Parts: sequence; C-alpha cells; structure tokens
Amino acid sequence: MKVYFWLALWSGKIVSLIMKVLGKRGTTFPGVIACKIYPEIIKFLALSFKEGTVIITGTNGKTTTNNLLASILDTAGLKVAFNREGANMLTGITGALLQNTSFSGKGKGDILLLEVDEATVPGLCAQLTPRLAVVTNFFRDQLDRYGELDTTVNLVKEALPSDTELILNADDPLVAQIGAGKTAVYYYGVQSLPSSKEESDETREGRYCAICGQELFYTLFHYGQLGIYKCNFCDFKRPDSYIEAVEIVQGEQGISFWVGEEYSIPLIGSYNLYNALAAFCAADRLGISRENIRLGLVKFVSDAGRMERFSLLGYDLTLTLVKNPTGFNQVIQTLAEIDKPLHLLIAINDLAADGRDISWLWDVDFEILAAKQDDIRQLLCSGLRAEDMALRLKYAGFAEDKIVIEHSLPKAVERFGRYPGIDRDAAFILPTYTVLFPLRDILVAKRTSDTEVKGESI
Amino acid sequence: MKLTIYHLYPDLLDLYGDRGNVLALAARCRWREIDVDIRRVSLGDPLDFSESDILVLGGGSDREQSILVEDLSSRGTELTDAIEDGLVLLTICGGYQLLGQYYQTGEGKKIPGLGILDLYTVAGDKRLIGNVIVEMKQELKRAISSNYSQISNQNSSQEFDTLVGFENHSGKTYLGPNLKPLGKVLRGYGNNGEDGMEGVRYKNVYGTYLHGPFLPKNPHITDLLIGLALQRRGNVSKMPHLVNNMEIAAHKAIITRFANR
Repeated sequence: MKVYFWLALWSGKIVSLIMKVLGKRGTTFPGVIACKIYPEIIKFLALSFKEGTVIITGTNGKTTTNNLLASILDTAGLKVAFNREGANMLTGITGALLQNTSFSGKGKGDILLLEVDEATVPGLCAQLTPRLAVVTNFFRDQLDRYGELDTTVNLVKEALPSDTELILNADDPLVAQIGAGKTAVYYYGVQSLPSSKEESDETREGRYCAICGQELFYTLFHYGQLGIYKCNFCDFKRPDSYIEAVEIVQGEQGISFWVGEEYSIPLIGSYNLYNALAAFCAADRLGISRENIRLGLVKFVSDAGRMERFSLLGYDLTLTLVKNPTGFNQVIQTLAEIDKPLHLLIAINDLAADGRDISWLWDVDFEILAAKQDDIRQLLCSGLRAEDMALRLKYAGFAEDKIVIEHSLPKAVERFGRYPGIDRDAAFILPTYTVLFPLRDILVAKRTSDTEVKGESI
Repeated sequence: MKLTIYHLYPDLLDLYGDRGNVLALAARCRWREIDVDIRRVSLGDPLDFSESDILVLGGGSDREQSILVEDLSSRGTELTDAIEDGLVLLTICGGYQLLGQYYQTGEGKKIPGLGILDLYTVAGDKRLIGNVIVEMKQELKRAISSNYSQISNQNSSQEFDTLVGFENHSGKTYLGPNLKPLGKVLRGYGNNGEDGMEGVRYKNVYGTYLHGPFLPKNPHITDLLIGLALQRRGNVSKMPHLVNNMEIAAHKAIITRFANR
C-alpha cells in the first residue's frame, strides 16, 4: 500500500511540473492522476500539517473567507497551505496538496486551509477529521449538480465529524441548524446591517424551520434568508453568536465594524462582512490574537474576480465574479448605489463549473438596474449564454436597442473600452466562473502601468 | 382589457427561475396594452378561481411540495370546475406532477396528487437533467397560428416549430391514453425518458418539465396562453405580433448548440 502512496505522490508532482513547464494552469489534473493511483492520498498528505486542517464550505464566500483567514494566519506567523478557488472537489484538493507537499512527503506549511465544495464534504471527511469546519451560507447554486438545496444541507450536516469544531453563520437558518444539539459550535453573525429590513420579497428558500417544517418568523431580514429569525412552533431560533459585529459602517473603500474594538476590511458588500466574520471566528478558535486578526483583515488583498480593479489604457474597471442569484443581487445592489454613469459587460457561460442551468438569471433582480437605465451607457452581453442574458435584460425592462450581444470576449472588451467618456464613468465586467479567467487574461494583457499580476481591492 | 394572473405559492415553488414565466406573461400583456394584475397566492390565502385568468404553478423541493398538496387539495373541486370552464393553467415540473393521480416514491408509496388529469409519476433512480428540444405536435402548432391576427411576417412567433428549455427531474411521468403531450423530444428526456414525449395539454391546461424558464424563450406559448385567456373572457379579436428578435435568437441559440448532440 505504501508503495502506491509514493507512486501517487511522485506521479502527481511530476505531472504538475510538466504542466508548469508547458505553461498550463490547473491543479486538478495531477490530482486526478494521484487519486487514481491511491484514492486515500488526501488522508496521508493532510497528516503532515501540524496545526491540522480547516475546511470552509457553503454556497457563497468560500474563497474570500479562505483567503481572509489565510491573511490573518499569515500575519500571525503561520505558514499556510491552501487550495485555489475552484479546485475544491477531491481531485482539485489533492492537486493543491501535491503542490504543498515535497517529494519526500513533507507538508510545506503549518496549517492546511481548504475550501470544499458542499458535495465534496462527505468524501473529504471520510478521509480526514478537520480541526475546524466553517460553513458560510446555503443558497441556491448549481442545483443541477446536487438536486436540491435540502439535499445539500443534509449532506454537509451528516458528513461533519463529531470531533470537528464548527464555525457557523448564526444568521442563516440553514447553516445554524447544523449546530442544533451539538456542543463544539461557535456562531458568528450581526444584529443588524445598514440595509436590513423588516420585510423582504426576495426568493425565500430556507425560510422554513429545519426542525419542524413550519414557516420561520423574522424580526429582521439582512439579505436572502439571513436575518433574525425564530420558529414559533418549536424552540429553534437564531443562536446567540460568539463573534457578533455591531456598528457596521459601509463606505466606498470598505467596511468597518466593532467586535469589542474596531475592525475594518478593504472590501465592499455585506456578504464580505460575513466572510470576514467567519474568518475572524475561525482565527479566534485557532488561538490567534485580536491584534493579528485586525491586521490580517486590514491588509487583505482581494483575489481574482472579487471586485478586482484593473487600470487599463484610459480607464479603470472592476471585475467581479457572479455565480448565483444572491451573489449577483448583491453586486447589483452595489452598482445601484454608484453615483456615476455605468458601463456593464455581463458574460454568462453554462459549463459544468458555472452550472449547466442558467435559469437562475431570472431570480436576479435586474429590474433594479433597468429602473436606472438612463444612467447605463453600455450593456454588453457575452459568453455562451449571451442571448439568454440579453433576453433576461429585455424582460427586466431594458430598451432592446440598449442591449448588445457580442460573443467574442476580446471583441466585447475592445468595444467596451472604446466608448467615449468611459474614463469618467464606472465600468464593471461581470463574468461567471469559466469566463472569469479568460477575461482576466485579456485584461492583464491590456493592463497599463504595473506588470504585476496582483489585484487591487476596492 | 385586463387579465389576472395568479402565481401560486411563489414562496414555496420558486426553483429554477420559474418566476420568469410570470414576468414573460406580464411583459407580453403590457407590450400589447393589456393590463395585468399579478397576485401571489400562498398557503391558506383566499383564492377565487372565478377571478383568475391564468394560473401559474411551478416546482419546488420535495418537502415544500408536500406542504402544498394538502393546501391545494382543499381547493381541488373548484380548480377542476374552473379547468373544465377553460381556465388557463401553466404547470412546471413539480406543479405538473401534482395535476396527476399520484406520485409513487422509490419505496413504492403512492402520494396522491390532485387527480385532475389522467397521468401519474414514478420516482426514477437517476436525475434527468439537461437542455431539451421538443418538436411541437401539429394541433399545438395550429392552435398557435390561429392565435395570431395576421399571417406570419418575419420575426413573428409563428416561425417556431419547437419548444426549448432545461429539465431537471427524477420523477418519470406517464400520460393516460386520452391525454396529448406537447410534442416529441428531439433532445433530452422529456416526460419519462422512455416514450419520447414531453409535457401535456388538456383543454387550456399546459404541463411541462421545461424550466429555462419555459415561457421567455418560447414566446409562441406565452402568446397562446394570453390569447386563450382573452378568448375565455369573450375577447374574440386575435393577438397582434410583437417584435421577437431576442426571443428568437435565444431559442435558436439552444437549437444550434444542442440539436443533434
């Protein structure tokens, strides 16, 4: 058996070296090879990280939470190994582990941070018992892959080992229920956001009590099904949180909040506050000091596609990944608050990593954008599903002649940038996952000043 | 002129963007200067079928669906009467299954449906997922063309011979001998992945597994539902055509990419 382990490790590492030489991106393929040779390879590779493994799962915010936590741990002087966004199924995780393991089988780091696809949690937890498991939220995402939301939640709930300490979002009832009846659970949340409302007409998946099935009663909605809730028929309610943010101020450059003292993150959007609180709570449970948490959050540099800003010839633009209704709605909320004319390029693909079913576009509130269409100078649709996107915008109320379809990404970016006056306005490109990297390559090639491939967060 | 659209259980049955169907109906009414009143009806809300012109019932997760069978069953007789009277009803996926006699679970348990149509559904062991293209039955095509006021000019909805959408179900639905499907599956699984049929049509009731959502990319069906509802209110004038460039582009894009694959 041991022979196969080494064979798997070395084959995987050699394949990734070859891929590197050939200039190919991707950690999944070496992982596929290694998993084929020795399916339990993760178990052994993970053992060599002395501070253990932290897994981060949930629908939205896995990557940002993972990166925020990495930034905090790095500040605290720990050497962190982690997987890149998207490489979050077993083969991708194996690939990342291969990169972080020497030929002699030693882990190149003190602690392992893994963002894990929801459906992969059972497979991963069969091989290792994480020290901490962070669950961010559950929204409708890629239903075609998993069937239904309930199935996904139960899958995660049942797979988490009893020895794993849980870091859970108190404000999302779908997440909070995972901690019901368990002891080693630490919740994070907020009492109220500046945008919280007493009523909500957003789609309301998960607004039913997971224990008894009755409709939950909300005193406040933050967004989606997140809020202050309780069940009137059993004793399920929003749990008290261990890390609770108050006095939240959302500015143009970032968010500040208080947890005993003041903290800030250089990210906008309420969802990023939750990501920060999840990382905060996890770091605290790993024994990191508040000072290191504060510094780690402040100096965070956003990763590809997370409101990443590009300075191109003559204008600036922001690239933001969109992948499900909740995430897209938050981006739209952010756009609606911008006090300048807007230029938008939306690129929708329907490959496996995007979700084959693009019907979720109809759960996004483009009507909010259509209401301010006089301030929208350009509205370009690209990607394999450009026509679907265009049609959605038409039915949201946009004038048909305002909507332009351009399948070719380079041409779409070219046309986008040529618009007179774009330098004085706000320009956003919103791609789904498989369009993100091709688009990013185009933008990086066009970048003017620095040659550094580093995103500047806004 | 005014039509009242009842969106049934939008809070429970809101999977896969099916609210897009209501948006499509409303928009195409508005573009023809027909007033629309959209009413969201949830559990226990009063529901007067005689006031309603079009009823839309989508699909939900299993748990949510079982909650509403109970609620709808209490309104079953009135619904049956309204359907016989020509009420226009669009049901998608779970809502479509619900019209039938029963849903047989994997363990062989039969969960009763509303029993309105002679069809039943059996839980399958795999999920039927993917893009679907359906060739419409002749009768459906005839109904569509007689719905419009003038002979086809270019870019009209009359050009369509197909339905397109995205299916995602594990239930396999079988129609009784007297029920007609919407058409024949050219790509995808359809009702059950066995007999090559998709959907059902009975009086003014339409059932389908197609999400996408269904109506925006199939404007000929949207117009037909609106036309049928108007006729039921005694409005005999035919529907004017709308400009459909974008709808046709989105419909054709599916066919170009997924036919013959």
